[in-house]
Amino acid sequence: MRDNRAQAIMGIATIAASLFLIFIAIPRWVASPSNVSNIILSPLFWPYALALVTMLIGLGMVAMSRRAMPSATGDDEDDEVIATGGYKRLSIMGVIMILYVLALPWLGMVWASMLAFVSVSFLVRTTHPKATVISAIIIPLVLYAFFAHVAGVGIPQGELVRLP
Amino acid sequence: MSFIDNIQAGLSLISNVESFAALAGGIVIGVIGGAIPGMSATMAVALTLPFTFAMSPITGILLLLGVYKGGIFGGSIPAILIKTPGTPASSATVLDGYPMAEKGQAGKALGMALWASCTADLISNLALIFFAGWLASFALSFGPPEFFTLILFSLTIIAGVSGNSLLRGALSALLGLLLATIGLDLVYGTNRFTFENPNMMGGLNFIAVLIGLFAIPEILSMVWNPKENEGKARKLGGDWVTFSEYMRCFKSIVRGSFIGVFLGSIPGIGAAPSAFLSYSEARRRSPNKDNFGKGEIEGVAASEAGNNGVAGATLIPLLALGVPGDVITAIIIGAFMIHGLQPGPMMFVLNVDIIYGLFMGLIVSSVFLFLFGSVAIRGFKFVADVPRGVLFPAVLVLCVYGVFAVNNNIFDVGVMFAMGIVGFIMMRNDIPAAPFLIAFIIGPLLEDNFRQAMLMSGSSPTILFRGPITWFFWALTIITVVAIIRAGMRAAKKPVASVND
Repeated sequence: MRDNRAQAIMGIATIAASLFLIFIAIPRWVASPSNVSNIILSPLFWPYALALVTMLIGLGMVAMSRRAMPSATGDDEDDEVIATGGYKRLSIMGVIMILYVLALPWLGMVWASMLAFVSVSFLVRTTHPKATVISAIIIPLVLYAFFAHVAGVGIPQGELVRLP
Repeated sequence: MSFIDNIQAGLSLISNVESFAALAGGIVIGVIGGAIPGMSATMAVALTLPFTFAMSPITGILLLLGVYKGGIFGGSIPAILIKTPGTPASSATVLDGYPMAEKGQAGKALGMALWASCTADLISNLALIFFAGWLASFALSFGPPEFFTLILFSLTIIAGVSGNSLLRGALSALLGLLLATIGLDLVYGTNRFTFENPNMMGGLNFIAVLIGLFAIPEILSMVWNPKENEGKARKLGGDWVTFSEYMRCFKSIVRGSFIGVFLGSIPGIGAAPSAFLSYSEARRRSPNKDNFGKGEIEGVAASEAGNNGVAGATLIPLLALGVPGDVITAIIIGAFMIHGLQPGPMMFVLNVDIIYGLFMGLIVSSVFLFLFGSVAIRGFKFVADVPRGVLFPAVLVLCVYGVFAVNNNIFDVGVMFAMGIVGFIMMRNDIPAAPFLIAFIIGPLLEDNFRQAMLMSGSSPTILFRGPITWFFWALTIITVVAIIRAGMRAAKKPVASVND
């Protein structure tokens, strides 16, 4: 039952997304030269074709959710075990990811990575805090040494402390 | 050039320390990656990819192939010792491997897994060598309409068999195709969904999408439920597999290897179905069929032969047709592209030395797998003891460095995190990620061949049905869709309780 409902919601979301593509996104954000007379060769054709097939898939999902038979047990309780505090940890993880990206040019990849490492580790309540801190220092430095000095990648150094 | 000349050219390319070191290193990384619960062979290959940028093409690709082969075997170690498959391909190994471990025969089960894996790997590599060249020479006569129908068929089967539902698989593939439209138009060079951002004009970075889809969701899953996948490892026990036991299972191993070769050469099927089919065939034909599921060594041999038999065969469509058969070969196609190589029939003409170098390397990889696998079995407890609270933050940092290193671009890191969130949502909703990634990679190829066909025919769609090859692929596509829909309807009619049983 729960799966059918999820399938129906997914189908409706898919239809909405395809309508958004057809009526807003493609006309607004896909450019086509004015001298293309044949629609099949136009840059617009492929996105429109994909959007239409996406809509068909969405309709199929809604139809299947209505057709599918209810489960024999009719019991939804065993479908999903919600992890305690899962949404809260995910939200914090989202913030860590955003801050990590924003910190890269300013703090540098090595220092930002050390902070991200420690934050994520303590977010999941690591049982090995000493190993975490040691790894958080060593791993970004070793990766920096490899990418900057072996692979020749210009790792962002940031504006605060620069590494050799 | 004759076959012998090709082999000589290949040997001259890989006869150096770097190539063998890359292969050996790859197998070690793969076995460790596959053996760590929560990681997988796919993730190990994806995370190794950025380290190949600084290598020569053959060395880099051998490293990745080593990781692939090692990862598939490595997945069987936690499957047997802690009842947690390291990779989906090892799910069938749990059925008899863990009961053997409970009886104190984990060492015997792991030994048989290794012997069966190496035998199947060798058979699969030989199949690759014999069939890829033949298929490539046949594919040289393909034009855009033939390639379009071939890619369409591949995408259909990948979408159909990757998850539990054809519709969700198809949705995943369509999302991948839509994402692939971002960038400049292939013919007119006009903007498509670039939002006037120069970072998006070349399309989204393949490695950012790949790592975002396959590594970040695992990290988010660990954040969602930090206690998942924690298990207690069984002891190896004193028993080790004997040659007579290997010979008793030999028929099942060879049968499983051929099942793996057959299913692996069809794009999209992958190692897990092959392992289960090999296991069920072995159980059907075995004189000890009643013992299957209770700790039968032949069950371990059959399932490991089934999943390793796929490893070389998935490279047949990749090398001969340029179509990745599964996610790992999709990553490997990315490695080819990064090094300026385009897998497909023309590679057998233009880069035949690289092709045969890879073949030779793959044969050597079976030997390396045997050597390093034996050590890995004994060293598993050290790998299993890596705290997840340290492992996954390390993976996160590795992902950021690796993705940045592709283009020296922080925008790609943002794309990776965004794709990670998309991948996590897909994972939670049972939408398979494999069709998404494969469609994203071969989407431009599909569109390009379609538009070339339309240009050739003056926009007449009849060119897509122009000869027996296109008819063949259309027929296969229709048969696949009908078969998957029928299977889905049959499954929907069964009460859920019986399915769960």
